[in-house]
Amino acid sequence: MDADLSRTPEEISRANQHDVKIKWRDGHESVYPARSLRLACACAACVHEFTGHTLINPTSVPEGVRPLNILPVGRYAIQITWSDGHATGIYAFDRLRVMCPCPVCKYSPPQVLPH
Amino acid sequence: MPDRVTEAAVLDALRKIEDPDLHRDIVSLGFIKDMKIDGGKVSFTIEMTTPACPVREKFQAEARAHVSQIPGVGSVDVRMTSQVRPSQSEIKNQLIPGVRNVVPVASGKGGVGKSTVSANLAVALAQMGARVGLMDADIYGPSIPMIMGVTEGPEIVDDRRIIPPAQNGVKIISMGFFLQEKEAVIWRGPMLIQMIRQFLGDVEWGDLDYLVVDLPPGTGDIQLSLCQTIPLTGAVIVSTPQDVALKVAQKAIALFQKLNCPVLGIIENMSHYVCRKCGERDDIFGSGGARRAAVDLDVPFLGDIPLATEIRTSADDGRPILLSDPDSPYAKAFLHAAENVAAQISIQNMSGAAPVKITF
Ligand SMILES: Nc1ncnc2c1ncn2[C@@H]1O[C@H](COP(=O)(O)OP(=O)(O)OP(=O)(O)O)[C@@H](O)[C@H]1O
Ligand SMILES: [Mg+2]
Ligand SMILES: [Zn+2]
Ligand SMILES: [Zn+2]
Repeated sequence: MDADLSRTPEEISRANQHDVKIKWRDGHESVYPARSLRLACACAACVHEFTGHTLINPTSVPEGVRPLNILPVGRYAIQITWSDGHATGIYAFDRLRVMCPCPVCKYSPPQVLPH
Repeated sequence: MPDRVTEAAVLDALRKIEDPDLHRDIVSLGFIKDMKIDGGKVSFTIEMTTPACPVREKFQAEARAHVSQIPGVGSVDVRMTSQVRPSQSEIKNQLIPGVRNVVPVASGKGGVGKSTVSANLAVALAQMGARVGLMDADIYGPSIPMIMGVTEGPEIVDDRRIIPPAQNGVKIISMGFFLQEKEAVIWRGPMLIQMIRQFLGDVEWGDLDYLVVDLPPGTGDIQLSLCQTIPLTGAVIVSTPQDVALKVAQKAIALFQKLNCPVLGIIENMSHYVCRKCGERDDIFGSGGARRAAVDLDVPFLGDIPLATEIRTSADDGRPILLSDPDSPYAKAFLHAAENVAAQISIQNMSGAAPVKITF
């Protein structure tokens, strides 16, 4: 059961003022702007479980929202506590890698592997 | 001059033994502890990752055989112990610091025997020497207190700490303890999260190797809340052999996979009928469906539990079959499934990459 290096983070740290940087085991680095990461929350309160529709209203999320704390969840995800009080979202590494906003990934996004 | 026995030689000999579940030799897995060499006398401990190891005796015999072949070795003393590895996570420290593995038991549809399986799994793990808790998260129809024969509710101390009653060697908490009979509750997402947090955070679980969680049927809010509140080691899916049931089991598996919670495997319940008189096996529903589904879905098959009146009546009487009739083939089926669950848990916990460094 070899973990896919491109989906396994080595280090998660701060970039810019409040953005989140992930260094992946394949060497790639992703930087996620704080607010767009907050808006990408996939928790039950933010995304409808079955329809996949976004329930979150962007205008209700403060402009300067930022992560206060990041904790690992199992081996597969992180949980972020946000400055707007939201903390139920779990960000799976798989999804984070696919979401990488860098130009390289934008134009040739890695495929989501079937489980 | 006699050969001098070295630690390295002993370890080399032990490297020939491979753990069948983890596919690695027991030395590189770090199972060998407390080695002492005194002239020709060698002694050490093999520390397994699960008390339920089916290959315990085999390991012990092989270890003795391999080490005695080293020139100069006179006697070999092999002790066996077990230490359940914790799930690889740090977030757990918040809510349930002493709980090493949280194992939800789920099914896509109701009535497949999820609660019966959860209770017997918990008892089986406890019988194998593990410290076990059982959380009944089925708020719609909590049945664990009945199945386990719990007569006393939890004790509340300091206004808020909940001491779970222990029965059959298992610490138990259930929504049933807190509801009036027939009280209808309509739970919404936030209340569910609240309840789960309370069951986790306010209950004095103490140190547990396994916390088995009986989930309500289906793929709804509570599964999500649970996955989003605590790190789960992996889910056990219960299904009957019928096609429809398997299709919904598939949905349950898909949900956990979507949440990135590992699936430990499928247990087929009410799999086949064993005639009490002649011992013959009758596949009334065409058993083996779950086994095939497990192959198709690429998840482990954990075992099959026969359909048996004794399993139902023992549950109705509050004495799980593992206690009321431990030598029956039914008890053995549960024990076997529990061994497989424990093995899959150690696979999950040993196979992880190094934990990620977070410096935010
Ligand atoms: N292997 C079995 N053989 C015979 N009867 C069984 C077996 N497993 C479970 N039962 C019986 O089937 C009924 C349903 O089982 P159980 O309550 O465990 O299912 P469940 O999936 O938890 O149901 P629910 O969806 O209502 O929570 C019970 O009466 C139980 O005693
Ligand atoms: Mg039930
Ligand atoms: Zn959210
Ligand atoms: Zn990128």
